[in-house]
Amino acid sequence: MSTEQAANAAGPRWTYGKRGYALAQSLRQLKRHKFASLITLLVLGITLALPVMLLFASSALQQLSSRSIEGESLTAYLQDSVSDLDGAALSIEWASREGIRDTRYISRDEALALFRENSDIGAAVDALGANPLPGAIIVFPDSNVLRAGTVEALAASLRQSEAVERVQFDLRWVRRLQAVVSLIQLVGGLLALFLTLTALLVIANTIRLELSRRRSEMEVASLLGASSFFMNRPILYIGALYGLLGGVVASIIAVIAFNAIRQPADDLSSLYESTFRLSHPTPSQIGIVLAVSIALGIVGALSSMYRPSQQLTQRGSNGK
Amino acid sequence: MIVFEHVSLEYLPGRFALQDVSFTLNAGSFTFLTGHSGAGKSSLLRLVARLERPTSGDIQVGNIHYNQLRPRQEPALRQQMGIVFQDNQLLPDRSVFDNVAFPLIIGGYRYNDIKTRVSAALNRVGLADKALENPQVLSGGEQQRIGIARAVVARPKLLLADEPTGNLDPDISAEIMQLFMQFNASGVTVLFATHDQSLLDTFRYPRLQLHQGKLTGAPQEDSPAPAARGRQKSDHAR
Repeated sequence: MSTEQAANAAGPRWTYGKRGYALAQSLRQLKRHKFASLITLLVLGITLALPVMLLFASSALQQLSSRSIEGESLTAYLQDSVSDLDGAALSIEWASREGIRDTRYISRDEALALFRENSDIGAAVDALGANPLPGAIIVFPDSNVLRAGTVEALAASLRQSEAVERVQFDLRWVRRLQAVVSLIQLVGGLLALFLTLTALLVIANTIRLELSRRRSEMEVASLLGASSFFMNRPILYIGALYGLLGGVVASIIAVIAFNAIRQPADDLSSLYESTFRLSHPTPSQIGIVLAVSIALGIVGALSSMYRPSQQLTQRGSNGK
Repeated sequence: MIVFEHVSLEYLPGRFALQDVSFTLNAGSFTFLTGHSGAGKSSLLRLVARLERPTSGDIQVGNIHYNQLRPRQEPALRQQMGIVFQDNQLLPDRSVFDNVAFPLIIGGYRYNDIKTRVSAALNRVGLADKALENPQVLSGGEQQRIGIARAVVARPKLLLADEPTGNLDPDISAEIMQLFMQFNASGVTVLFATHDQSLLDTFRYPRLQLHQGKLTGAPQEDSPAPAARGRQKSDHAR
């Protein structure tokens, strides 16, 4: 039989390089133990799904608390004696103050028009003969003031103006919402941490089993002069593959779950006249999920391969 | 050249696999390593392959003193040797071709070199037509040939064989022995561990005789083979 015929038995070129060999071995292992690999990937996917959902939802939750707080304002009702010109000038003056993002002056006439438009008893005002409503300045504090809880101090400083009769604001519900969102983020973060650790342990345990399967191959490789890195590289690749595929499964589960809860969440949001919307995950969010899952896989593989590779190395230094 | 200087290997306190072993083997020689089971043959080979470290003494292979060898240099040292085992240690999940190609992948050879070298090695052991087969479906003799092809595919200058004919019948053993002789004839130093008396009687090469870890027979040429004798003057094994 010819040498040429033997050469034709060679596999694809990429599988004979060191990296290609490691990748081919990793894929071969996943393929050989299809069912076990599938179960592992599902376990990883389900375990990582909640952290992934939290990541996808984090920007929406952040938006919810930010938008709610940014929409908040104080209303300074002016004395009856303050003219529209003075009121508008005061509004402009306040707008340039530190801690105030914007202001809007509402004249007495505008206030009356709004009252007529939005109130069922608008016609009753006409019976009074004169406009009873004061002019007002809507003050939008900047977000730093709102978050730092110094709105009261701002309100107090506005009250000191002689033109102001009364300042009204109510941020309690926003504070409650912020507290709930913070709690959700904290509890979710802790859960995500525990589940991520679980995923890490699943990968480490799977790799440990894989190592025991590959032990004879590693011993042969060691006898033939393979370095520890050569022997460990396929294991690292398997860890990375488990991480990557686990991340893909988790992302798919998270997207499906998001689609399922999007409509009820939107309905709830519209009840509160909120602009909160659960949006589709962005490519960068999916990229983060996949990168973190690959890193998890590699860390899991490293943690499980430390001892066996050490044992193989020590075999050379021990007695018979 | 392989030099052992007062080498001992103690595997438990007071229990020696090898004790105060000293000898010199010339480059290009063919030497039998003989002794009963447990005499220390495998330990000696493992020391040469740096799979074990001696408790005392020094080993030199070519110009490398093992006492000065760093652990990270050991894989590279092993890549320059061919090792054949009694149980051949083939990987059952890949083809004959890929088994033989394994040391070349480890050594970082290029694809075309791998194809050429593996084909040549398989051709040399008469298994070119089995390249696509799984080794498990082949006979014991064929499996041992694959092991030999794998050991020589990187063209080492030193070939270590640990009872390579131990599981084979006499005819196949003689064929395997012929292969080793061919490699020796091409300049490869061969250290061949066996306790097969018929093989020792048939092929009269110099012997290292071990008994309970001690060297009882220094390398002596009963009737050195022409190939071995011709190269003993040149000392350039590595």
